[in-house]
Amino acid sequence: MWQIMSKGSTNSYLLVFALLSTLGITWLVFAGIRHKVTHEAGTLRLNLGAEPPSLDWAKATDATSFDVVSNIMVGLTAYTPNLSCAPACAGSWEISDKGRSYLFHIRPNVLWSDGKAVTAYDFEYAWRRLLDPKTAGPYAFFLYDVENAFEFNQGKLVDASKLGFKAIDARTFIVHLRRPAAYFLYLTAFSPTFPQRQDIIERYGDRWTEPGNLVSNGPFVLKQWQHEYKIELEQNPLYFGGTPLLKKIKMFMVPEQSTAFALYENNELDFIDNRSFPTSEVELYRKMNQHCPQYHETSLLRVNYLGFNVHKPPFDSIAVRKAISMAVDRQRLCRILRHGEKPISYLIPKPLLGFSPFDENLFNPAMARKFLASAGYPDGKNFPDVYLLYPHREDTRLLVEAIQDELKRNLNIHIDLVNQEWQVYLQTLRNNSPPIYRSAWGADYPDPETFMNLFTSHNGNNNTHWANSAYDQMVSKAACEINSATRAQLYKKADYFLCNQEVPIVPLNTAVQNVLIKPWVSGIELNALDLQFYSNVSVGD
Amino acid sequence: MFRLVVRRILLMLPLLWLIATATFLLMRLLPGGPFDAEKNLPPEIMANLKAKYHLDRPLLEQYGYYLQRLVKGDLGMSYKYLDRSVNDILSNAFPVSLVLGTVALILAISVGMPLGVVAATRRGTIVDALCMAVSTIGVSLPGFVMGALLIFVFGIWLKILPVALWESGWHIILPAITLACGPTAYIARLTRVSILQVFEMDWVRTARIKGQSYQQTIIKHVLRNALIPIVTVFGPLTAIIITGSFVVEYIYAIPGMGRFFVTAVSNRDYDLVVGTTLIFAVLLIVANTLVDIAYHMLDPRIQVDTL
Repeated sequence: MWQIMSKGSTNSYLLVFALLSTLGITWLVFAGIRHKVTHEAGTLRLNLGAEPPSLDWAKATDATSFDVVSNIMVGLTAYTPNLSCAPACAGSWEISDKGRSYLFHIRPNVLWSDGKAVTAYDFEYAWRRLLDPKTAGPYAFFLYDVENAFEFNQGKLVDASKLGFKAIDARTFIVHLRRPAAYFLYLTAFSPTFPQRQDIIERYGDRWTEPGNLVSNGPFVLKQWQHEYKIELEQNPLYFGGTPLLKKIKMFMVPEQSTAFALYENNELDFIDNRSFPTSEVELYRKMNQHCPQYHETSLLRVNYLGFNVHKPPFDSIAVRKAISMAVDRQRLCRILRHGEKPISYLIPKPLLGFSPFDENLFNPAMARKFLASAGYPDGKNFPDVYLLYPHREDTRLLVEAIQDELKRNLNIHIDLVNQEWQVYLQTLRNNSPPIYRSAWGADYPDPETFMNLFTSHNGNNNTHWANSAYDQMVSKAACEINSATRAQLYKKADYFLCNQEVPIVPLNTAVQNVLIKPWVSGIELNALDLQFYSNVSVGD
Repeated sequence: MFRLVVRRILLMLPLLWLIATATFLLMRLLPGGPFDAEKNLPPEIMANLKAKYHLDRPLLEQYGYYLQRLVKGDLGMSYKYLDRSVNDILSNAFPVSLVLGTVALILAISVGMPLGVVAATRRGTIVDALCMAVSTIGVSLPGFVMGALLIFVFGIWLKILPVALWESGWHIILPAITLACGPTAYIARLTRVSILQVFEMDWVRTARIKGQSYQQTIIKHVLRNALIPIVTVFGPLTAIIITGSFVVEYIYAIPGMGRFFVTAVSNRDYDLVVGTTLIFAVLLIVANTLVDIAYHMLDPRIQVDTL
């Protein structure tokens, strides 16, 4: 039947269509119709990677939200590039009562973006709001060292005036702690403790963080928030530290790594980090390092480790745990991961107080086999079937496969690998942690306490179920010790006890931040907490 | 036709209730919760969070809460994007998906159908083989491969179109093509098969023998009759394309609602999952109703009251 149809007319249409398409594309290419993108002096474009779940710093817990909040707000203190605490809203402070009391003096020239002065009352309101059970602030526990904070947050104390902090007047804020906490000042540089405006929050309710409503005291103000797409910040001329060099920051939310990398290569982004840097490209740039001034890397305060459930055989045996620890070549694992990770022997990462350098001798397959034999599994014979749980992620899969291989080669034991979707993995870890699992921990503040506290008996994140009162005492003593040198020794001792003697965990490596920075951008300083501050950044012509 | 619309609206309500209930329950059966994170929160904090979002109440009570809000048009609060309602999230995201989806749908129809017609009328020739090869590639290539290819060719190599983002009309082109690829191929194949079936009908032969031109025969007799099976798939296709594609929006960084179909589940963002499912269901029902009306317009022998 189709033969009855005209052949000639169809051919003509096809020819015309093909010709038009070719002409169209050729015209676009050669007539200079380019999607030209160039940078704009004074504007920094970067990728957040995802929508911030909340810009209410009493409720935010994630890095994406902190990246924004850290540039629109400052607290009593602020981090310097080497992560020590410098005066910010508080121009000075006095510590008394053997480290239990802090008296902060608020600078008179710190202003909110609407011109009103930042006062001690703003801190008092913010801290009460953070601890208020109705706010359900996830990071309220950071203030649990403050007198009565825990009870108030639990709802057992309803009179907020009994909390251990108070605005004595507009310029003076006093804090009383339950016990000395050498790390306390770091908490005052951390977002959840930033001041808040009661009048703004009461006026706008849940929408107080929207542009036009939110007032802030940092180097930038929130100008625009296109949800799931872009946040724009503008310089704050009222910032007490001086007007920033950048006029604008555009923070896109590009979730796909390779797309973000393509945008960077196309000069549509000025700065990218791990969120936008595919592993294959990282490897390439690391090899070109010396010849590529755009590439930079820094170690982070984030540790990958293997955890054992010490109640589940065979890992209820210290000898087995030591055997595993000594059979894993951490340097080889870092080579496999390819981002520049650094091997570690102990939990406290560099450059924190109590850090112990990597011990190459820890990798000792012969000694590992002896430990395994002493536990009743000579040459891996009769070793029970166990599985290693890990979350469903590409880099994690590489790591655990390498570990499986190491254990087979060095100890002749086979460990199954089981991966689960992220939420399922978290629930398994919490409710019934497997015999062995891969996990990670990142510092909330640059102090060893945030790491060492993790494996104390009552820490809800201690999925090893290892409980040791001697270790608890060591960590508690170190947390209260004001003298840095003594503190460092206490933490070293506790770390050695944890990772060398009892071994409920096997620290493997620290994570790395890999970044690319365009030549027209200057002033970006990387830090181990992976916080990004743009107040001193400039974008030239 | 009015009775058809009324009947569909009346049927839609219990259907939506059923879908909302099933999704509500299924989400809560999944292991893990919306506040689970790498760092476990202290039990006291978790208790506060659950109390705030009524997750500490019995399931039936939570369901009652949810239904009470749903009948008022309130789709609930997001557990991931704190202080944002599901209505707010979807009202921002849906128009973006709608624009992208509409452009992709128009592209799919305007390229797919002529491709199918050409293939059918040139059956057995090199033209037919080429058209079907193109449509096979369109169906086989996953969206993320097609997207990456288009970005590389037009964005990075030729630099004539933007790589990604959603800033201007130019930014719609590549994502729309990526989104339209699969449906175009599918429509082309369906059109070809449908037309070939209609070609065999006597009235087509009669029209040509009686002197009607090729173009007129195709348009007046062949196409109209061949459209019924094609229009049938438009209903679900429209709903799928217009609610956005997770892959396309992810690759091109487009702030549409397609991504929520996946991310809301992995985040255990209960209300957002139910909200997106309900939107999809409403669109599907509306699209199918329009398809049924289209049947009657294409073939008056089909009575809408019987649909």
